[in-house]
Amino acid sequence: MQITEIFSSQLPVGEKLTIKKGRFEPKERKPDIKRISIVSGTHGDELEGQYVIYLLSSWLRENTDAINGIIDLYPAVNALGIDTITRGFPIYEVDLNRAFPGSKHDYLPGQLVHALAEDVKGSDIAIDIHSSNIFLKEIPQIRINKEFSPSTLPLAKKLNCDFIWIHDAVTVLEATFSHTMNEMGTKTLVVEMGVGMTLTQVYGKQLLSGILNLMKSEGIISTDEEFEQREPFSSEVGDVFYINSPSAGLFVQSITHCAIIKKGDVIGTIVDPLSGKIHDTLYAPSGGILFTLREFPVVYEGSLIARIFGESHENN
Amino acid sequence: MKTIEILRIDSLNRSPLIVEGYLFEGSDPTAPSVAIVGAMEGETILPLYTASKLVDFLRHSLDDESKIVGNILVIPSVNHYALNINQRFWPLDKTDINTMFPGYGEGETTQRIAKKLFNALQGYTHGIILETREGISTCIPYIKLFESGYEDIESAKTFGYRLIHHKSLKPTDTVSLQYNWQLWGTKAYSIICPSDTNIDLHTSNEVFERIINFLSKNEIIEYKTISGYHSTIIKNSDIEVIQTVKSGIFIPTKKVGSTIKKDEMIGKIIHSLEGKVTHRIFSPCDGLIACVYKNGLIFENAVAFRVIKSG
Repeated sequence: MQITEIFSSQLPVGEKLTIKKGRFEPKERKPDIKRISIVSGTHGDELEGQYVIYLLSSWLRENTDAINGIIDLYPAVNALGIDTITRGFPIYEVDLNRAFPGSKHDYLPGQLVHALAEDVKGSDIAIDIHSSNIFLKEIPQIRINKEFSPSTLPLAKKLNCDFIWIHDAVTVLEATFSHTMNEMGTKTLVVEMGVGMTLTQVYGKQLLSGILNLMKSEGIISTDEEFEQREPFSSEVGDVFYINSPSAGLFVQSITHCAIIKKGDVIGTIVDPLSGKIHDTLYAPSGGILFTLREFPVVYEGSLIARIFGESHENN
Repeated sequence: MKTIEILRIDSLNRSPLIVEGYLFEGSDPTAPSVAIVGAMEGETILPLYTASKLVDFLRHSLDDESKIVGNILVIPSVNHYALNINQRFWPLDKTDINTMFPGYGEGETTQRIAKKLFNALQGYTHGIILETREGISTCIPYIKLFESGYEDIESAKTFGYRLIHHKSLKPTDTVSLQYNWQLWGTKAYSIICPSDTNIDLHTSNEVFERIINFLSKNEIIEYKTISGYHSTIIKNSDIEVIQTVKSGIFIPTKKVGSTIKKDEMIGKIIHSLEGKVTHRIFSPCDGLIACVYKNGLIFENAVAFRVIKSG
């Protein structure tokens, strides 16, 4: 594997910020060789992608003869944020996934994302791995902009995830990595799974199988090994229900994550430690699969508690 | 003057966040009206100070209540929770309220705050938002006006600020208060204030006096003011971005607001461990220093100055 720097900036006191890429490629390149880029760590508090890329890098090291295409790994886009437990770009407090496409003459976060987009440009496929944030736990899922779904949905189905969420185009999301790369012609998928500041090993291994499965089907690797490809739920055939906290307090879960639930099941309670009272009990507004559940217990009115994918509103 | 509750959010352990507005009802119901929003973020001391000073001015400095002709609503702070702990964004999830508009009443906490605030801001002729720049820089006070198709440059000129940045719209701007307020029919303007954490009386007076000038020129108050600048409209192409090629200790040798000549030294970088000058920054053009990086330590390639080109 070849490791290169795609961006660097000397820091003020005896340190250099570098964003690194690892590249696997076959010994001999064919003219029509395919290229896939795997990106993670755009948010410094999201670590699940680091583990997936470790697993993938490890697999590729042990299976160099299987490599037919170019596989570029960008495990830590916000390297400084990851090492300092900072979601945004440190000091600037900028969400890098709202700073694309950036430019060479932008402020520093904009320069960094520009360097990433320029480096990934030309890839056939890109996968941007996120792990929610410190507040919510997500089952492995793919998020797809409806605008690009004709080209990205077939790929998403191969990624061994549990849920594919196709959402409408939103202008503000045009500043994301995935929108920028899709606009540039790279079929880009966003994976959300797990929870911030944690490694969920079972999810990491699940996504590894999906990535290998996708790469095999695209001819980027060639192997007799079979990889799991589970059938995901798709938001095309149902609705997503949101449960937000009606009050401030401490959220206490009553349900296991990723459970199939029935309408009216108790998801949890909002309690007040001082008085010992329950402010609110939260019930499922729909039957279906609970794919998002709050992990961080402190809530305000409006804090997202859970998301359920269920039958459409009309049938509920 | 009436004090009105704009919104209330409870907390597990903190006092409730109660956002209040100060409504000054004008003597002429048909006159133009204005709503002014102060600190939506923490670390925005000048917006807070300016808005609170305006409340005091409207209450105590006009000798006759009838001199308030049009309705004026002032909301000095929206984000007390961030201000009180010196954080920039909403303290729990670090979201920026000014990226949540027009808001959503059934959504996340800051979407709900934005929705309630936005509801209270409807129906005004003019809307003024007091902001600071994103990133690590401070600036001279100026007007930021998005190229939304709904903006009113002529009205913006009546503040009398030196510069109006007529700014091309980025995707993230579409969820700002200014853009959505314009869409909903209010002539909205952002006053970008210096992001200093201490009050500089000279600068803060300038920000304040330009607002009074605006209120007077638009016949919202009867008050004789001294006109400000004949504003210069600038586009992104009028701005020279000057990056530093070295990291280290940053010493600007020219202050924000200075007019400068091409090849004039405007800053230098000192090696942070050895003390020697590693880089001198020279202006590539004649112009005005509109923004300057505000920290003492600077990264390589960071933007050190933004200069409005002249000549």
